Amino acid sequence: MPENDRPVLTSSPETPRNRVREILSNQQFLLFVVLIALMTYFYSRNHYFFTVGEFQNIFTNFSGYALLAVGEMFVIVAGGIDLSVGSTVAVSGVLGAWVMNGMMNGHGNQFWVLTVGTLICGLVGAFVGFLNALMITKAKLVPFVATLVTLSAGLGFALLFAQFFNSGQPVGSDPAAAVFSSKAIWVFTYPAIFVILIVIVAGIVLHLTKYGRYTYAIGSNAFAARAVGINVQRHVGSVYILSGFLAGLTGMFYFMQLGSGAPTSGDGFELTAIAAVVIGGASLTGGRGRMSGTVLGVFVLTVVTFGLVFINVPPAWTQIVVGGFIALAATLQSLRPSGRKSV
Amino acid sequence: MISLKNPKGALRVASTMALAGVLGATSLVALGAQTAGASKTYTIAFNVGVTSDPFFLTMRAGATAEAKKLGVNLEWQGNVNFYSPSTQLPFLQSALASKPDALIFAPTDTKALQPITGQFVAAGIPVFNVDSGNANQKNVVSWITGNNIQGGQAAADALAKAMNYSASGTYNVVIGVSSVSTSTDADRLTGFKNEIKAKYPKIVLKNVFATNSVSATAISDINQALSANPGAAGTASGLSGIFAIDGTDAAGAVAALTAKGKLGKVALVGYDAYADSVKALGKGGFSALIAQQPYLEGQLAVKAAVSYLKNGKSASAAGIKHLNTLANKVLTATTSASVLKKYTYRTK
Repeated sequence: MPENDRPVLTSSPETPRNRVREILSNQQFLLFVVLIALMTYFYSRNHYFFTVGEFQNIFTNFSGYALLAVGEMFVIVAGGIDLSVGSTVAVSGVLGAWVMNGMMNGHGNQFWVLTVGTLICGLVGAFVGFLNALMITKAKLVPFVATLVTLSAGLGFALLFAQFFNSGQPVGSDPAAAVFSSKAIWVFTYPAIFVILIVIVAGIVLHLTKYGRYTYAIGSNAFAARAVGINVQRHVGSVYILSGFLAGLTGMFYFMQLGSGAPTSGDGFELTAIAAVVIGGASLTGGRGRMSGTVLGVFVLTVVTFGLVFINVPPAWTQIVVGGFIALAATLQSLRPSGRKSV
Repeated sequence: MISLKNPKGALRVASTMALAGVLGATSLVALGAQTAGASKTYTIAFNVGVTSDPFFLTMRAGATAEAKKLGVNLEWQGNVNFYSPSTQLPFLQSALASKPDALIFAPTDTKALQPITGQFVAAGIPVFNVDSGNANQKNVVSWITGNNIQGGQAAADALAKAMNYSASGTYNVVIGVSSVSTSTDADRLTGFKNEIKAKYPKIVLKNVFATNSVSATAISDINQALSANPGAAGTASGLSGIFAIDGTDAAGAVAALTAKGKLGKVALVGYDAYADSVKALGKGGFSALIAQQPYLEGQLAVKAAVSYLKNGKSASAAGIKHLNTLANKVLTATTSASVLKKYTYRTK
């Protein structure tokens, strides 16, 4: 059923009652309300929740998920799915750590080591994305299967590399990187500032450029997009490379937190990224979603996950509550279009 | 058939085949590395959870040395990376098909691997357990393991000492585990809790984190504990100690404490003597480490299996106990270099 063909404003005159209804059916608004409620609850359980230190934690955790979710969002808006990002975090983190470790044993200017590490991680990620693009656009594998291949093989390679470099243990040891990554301007740690800038740029690209419009067009209807002259294959390929690149940067992000590259770093992160995008209101069938929604989705997921840890809820319950929360958000999303139509 | 009339289709087939070829070649190399050794006298199959883990690498060194000494053939097997019954089972099935004289294995799940254990016993192949196991399982000849309850108790004592425990303070403590359902983690947790109950009423156990071996989760969990308890160590509003039950938690705790400048201020006790952890002992990272004895476990397991085979498959004649628990060693910054060297796990 088409759901976007009728602009809401033409079908609902500007009465106060309709405006209230409009606000209530806005998923981003509801997410925001839930977020405030959650934070108030966590604060009531432990007053240290509203402290600069805790918000530094939240923004740091937010940043790791956000980098992945932003890349995932481009793929999902284009009508695909990228399951490989978790493994890409691991493989790029391990390889980057190995290179950085070698550089530090050589001479070791911290700034250059981290810069080169960031580049290496990004390139490794982009390479994984390139493999995905090849399989999807040339070998015509379904995105789910193609990225399942790189998810599995990527983790295998991460473990192999870690075994080769450091007999299976996390590679490299750079406590200075961990210290650097916890330095902050108010509640924003340095890596968080870096990530927030990337998210802003990604939002601009998605909503205000031709590249973004093409992404939506392909996700809505690839045939129509091809008919109007968009090079669909090349564009879809570039979206996977972008997602891989951002996943590679996420590998660097976790290297900085741990001070070493662990092959288990990104375990299961692909599902977190997809969950955040879905909670944020993007459609898994492509062509729909807003960057602000994804950012809010990541934020809600971060606050729920780590807030429950903060108030000492046992781990099993944390998992259940997070699961329930995803279900709730997804239900809200499925209710939204019919809510609009009833106006 | 690849049709040359359709270049796009040919490209598609070619790239799929290339991919399959790369993956296939990789797995063949991996397989080639696993197959070695010819049979003479007794052949003992030795199967562990994760062959790349230094704990099992050390066990392998002990088992290999003992097998060489006794002149038996040792077949070492296990999944390279994944610690789970579903990945361990195929190795056990192929071991069963190769009909060894005895099987020694570290069950990744004692319940799930009981049927296959039964199949070995039915085929007349005696089974021994190392590391993990179940004391009530009668069809296993012997189970050689580190005493995890004692390890947890020793960790509680070491942590209390590192926190300068006194009856006038309050000591908030958190524990990081890999998973609450792993038998070894659960036993260590039980030992730790029992010891606190019995001897240290002023220690408050704030939370038990499950990190599922993801380092990033370990770091953020410890960060949460630090900002939820920001006061000074030894007071009701501060975090005084961390018990990191596995390697991932230990690495995460060190990274989090380093980043927040709390290293050495919050007491940290870890489990297992991985080389990196032992290095961090001297720098004030770990207050103490609970070291197991995997080398000895491997050695004793092979010794028991050979002795059992040579004594007409009778445990009493061979002098084998059904349960053989080995004490763990507490390592601290003041432990002598030679002892540290002896207990540090090997990486090859």
